[in-house]
Amino acid sequence: MIAMDEYKGKVSPDWCPGCGNYSQLRAISMALSELNIKPEDAVISSGIGCSSNMPEYINVYGFHGLHGRLVPVAEGIKWANKNLTVIGYGGDGDGFFEGTQHFYHAAKRNVDITYIVSDNQVFGLTTGQASPTTPIGRITKDTPDGNIEPPFNPLHYALTAGATFVARGLSGNIKSLANIIKAGIQHKGFSFIDVLSPCVTYNKINSYDFFRKTTYEVKDNNTKDFYEAFKLSSMWGDAPQSIPTGIFYDVQSPIYEDADVVLSKYNLKDTKPYQLTESDLEEFY
Amino acid sequence: MNDIIIRIGGSAGDGVQSSGLSLAKTLSRSGYYITTYNYYQSLIRGGQSWYQVRASDEVVKNQGSGLDILIALTEDALKRHTSKNINEGGASRLNGIAIFDDSMITNYEKYDDVKYYGIPLRDIALKYNSNPLLKNTVALGAVMASLDMDFSIYEQVIKEIFSHKGKLIDANIGAAKEGYEYYKNNYKIYKSIKVEKRKLFMIGGGEAVGLGAINAGMQMYFAYPMTPASSVLQFFAEHSKKFHVFLKITEDEISAINGAIGANYAGVRAMTGSSGGGFALMTEAVGMSSMTEVPLVIYEAQRPGPSTGLPTKTEQGDLNQILGAGQGDFPKIVLAPGNVTEAFNMTKEAFNLAEKYQLPVFVVSDLYLAEHIETVDFDLKYEMDHGLRAQENDPNFKRYEYTENGISKRSVPGQKGLMHNADSDEHNELGEVVSDVITDPELRRLSMEKRMRKLDTYIKNLPPTKTYKMEDAEYVVIQWGSTKGVIEESIDSLRSEGIKVGAIEIDHIYPMNHDIEKYLKNKKIIVIENNFSGQLNKLIKQEFLVDTKFIGKYDGEAFFPEQLENILKNIIVGKPILEE
Ligand SMILES: Cc1ncc(C[n+]2csc(CCOP(=O)(O)OP(=O)(O)O)c2C)c(N)n1
Ligand code: SF4
Ligand SMILES: [Mg+2]
Repeated sequence: MIAMDEYKGKVSPDWCPGCGNYSQLRAISMALSELNIKPEDAVISSGIGCSSNMPEYINVYGFHGLHGRLVPVAEGIKWANKNLTVIGYGGDGDGFFEGTQHFYHAAKRNVDITYIVSDNQVFGLTTGQASPTTPIGRITKDTPDGNIEPPFNPLHYALTAGATFVARGLSGNIKSLANIIKAGIQHKGFSFIDVLSPCVTYNKINSYDFFRKTTYEVKDNNTKDFYEAFKLSSMWGDAPQSIPTGIFYDVQSPIYEDADVVLSKYNLKDTKPYQLTESDLEEFY
Repeated sequence: MNDIIIRIGGSAGDGVQSSGLSLAKTLSRSGYYITTYNYYQSLIRGGQSWYQVRASDEVVKNQGSGLDILIALTEDALKRHTSKNINEGGASRLNGIAIFDDSMITNYEKYDDVKYYGIPLRDIALKYNSNPLLKNTVALGAVMASLDMDFSIYEQVIKEIFSHKGKLIDANIGAAKEGYEYYKNNYKIYKSIKVEKRKLFMIGGGEAVGLGAINAGMQMYFAYPMTPASSVLQFFAEHSKKFHVFLKITEDEISAINGAIGANYAGVRAMTGSSGGGFALMTEAVGMSSMTEVPLVIYEAQRPGPSTGLPTKTEQGDLNQILGAGQGDFPKIVLAPGNVTEAFNMTKEAFNLAEKYQLPVFVVSDLYLAEHIETVDFDLKYEMDHGLRAQENDPNFKRYEYTENGISKRSVPGQKGLMHNADSDEHNELGEVVSDVITDPELRRLSMEKRMRKLDTYIKNLPPTKTYKMEDAEYVVIQWGSTKGVIEESIDSLRSEGIKVGAIEIDHIYPMNHDIEKYLKNKKIIVIENNFSGQLNKLIKQEFLVDTKFIGKYDGEAFFPEQLENILKNIIVGKPILEE
């Protein structure tokens, strides 16, 4: 096991005190540490949002890119060097608005990356607008009369797209979250982890208290059963113990890198590029 | 120039392009230098299309003016290409021989300067096979006879083209031979050019970019299909296994460019490519490549816009878009090859520049350049320049160190002790963000200047701007990209009439080499571009504060030499240059 300290970034997080992202930073570091993944062999690709500032605070290779585009960057990195552990990390606005198509196609391709979303049901960084997961009726900065759009269900979306690992985590429950992230990293294929994460500043409703009351950890569920996973993903509410967390779906299916004619044979980063010679021009004679 | 121009005219579905390719191949195999021109629409069947091959014993620089031999596959084609009111974007009407099936095509106006050489193409073809395209082979056989060529070369080309369709070989050879004999027995040799036996390779602009990228060590290509950038994508699709190049057709162009940036960040040479519409979607990430200082090569093959525009036509209308792509000021390099060989060379150059300066480099092409074929002169020598790289565990490593030349050492994932954050937010030397909370005006200034200094360094290392016959020139033509060949030939022709004109050929278009200034003093300047507004023209005026005359063409076709000569002559001799 590599010491947790090894993953500590040089910059301290500037998230609001109490922000759910702190636990995720810790859970990710814990997962990497327990899995013995060396800092130089891990890459976090993030988008734009409070959550997406993560790469600065953790001592691995980081790419803090554009709003909504962290998934294609992560794919490019993975396809260039399959030996790296590639984690995508960003917000619900980032991933479920601007990045929706990338999320879908990465899941469908079953690229071997782990995609973690800090789902605080709001735009944090831009100071409190409605996000794709904001519940109907919710008053936010840009929905003064209440949000009229039904919320996006990221787990359903991931499942129907073809993700082979789908889980819901909870910020604050660091140990369980770290275990889910560990399983996601170890899973061969596209892992999606939606993390319920309180934004203490702009979402006063979905607070730690709210989640302490409403969530419970699933036990003995059949993670090979798509319909059971789909059902667990549907469960939501204000009542006590109405929101399950844990690994809902975990199946094996061929990954993109193994199906591709080139990637299945080569790790490109370690492969000398093809040397073009005169004889390669013969087909143009 | 002792040349021959042959055009095959018909409709989509008539095999115009494949016949054109066999013709080009047979000519280049015989030792002719060739160049082609492809006129088509996005249609599977119908409409009109034509394919032109120009061949000579000297290097040919463009599709040429005049038309020696027409193979008319349809009545419409025969009328169209002989008409005195020909309307094909500057292509010349026929003033030589028309080869056509006179049993099928009977209703047309006859011109005195055209020789009508009817051949029963269909009847001959039917003796061998019922495939309707076989009549094209009969016609090509006749063309070989009209040029007094050795039939065996065409025979060999047929064998190769149909090698995977064994039984068609004999039918095609038989039909071609009979077309050849029919011509010999009935008509006179049209023209006989003695060419040296030489080995020439015949390559398209898109293939040249693909080969250049392979030669430069590119291992990954990310793209979403869009004409005319697709010829590069197609090249990689066909050669992915052979060259072990990873090809990813992404869900959109935004994904393509971000994926290519991820790959380059991880230390593998990767490229993305599109045409103007797809490139418009990529623009935000262009700035990100520059901000994070991740090398990136972007191939942009222009077609006429705006919007979906003319998907199968050519234009140079994206220079503004490329120069303006992305918010803010950031360093980038734009290269614009002028022909197929340059497309190969400049793609190679782009990869080294991208890594040396750690920024986005564009290779700009257009439909004409991307989709026509030339006999080329490729030099495969190449040395990869990976730029400055950090040593593992360097305790003093600063990814974005403020250096005098603007270039800092780079590390890639997997390297020990060099972890850092590549950030699209403004950052300091270590990659730490200085934008959101701890906004720091001083650091912002230093980081901005550090990145922009890379361009000063690049400009110092720029090769001298290419010129053509500038020694005693009084008139200067300025061009960029695929108009190079047609402009050079027009200059030759004007010079033969005593007009002192030369050209400046801007292939390193941004940032621009200021050595251009010395050629502009006391000269009449004419800027020629395949667009409406004169995008380079505006840049020239802005950079060098000179008066210019702009000539634009935006009908979807490239310039043709005769057309351009007339325009130039009119400007230079006809009336004084208008100050714009
Ligand atoms: C292309 C683009 N559009 C909009 C923005 C502005 N923007 C920055 S973050 C953000 C939303 C952040 O919400 P979320 O992804 O949920 O992240 P959080 O802050 O909640 O973690 C927006 C709209 C941007 N940076 N780039
Ligand atoms: S605004 Fe919300 S999401 Fe952003 S740092 Fe503060 S608590 Fe966290
Ligand atoms: Mg959010």
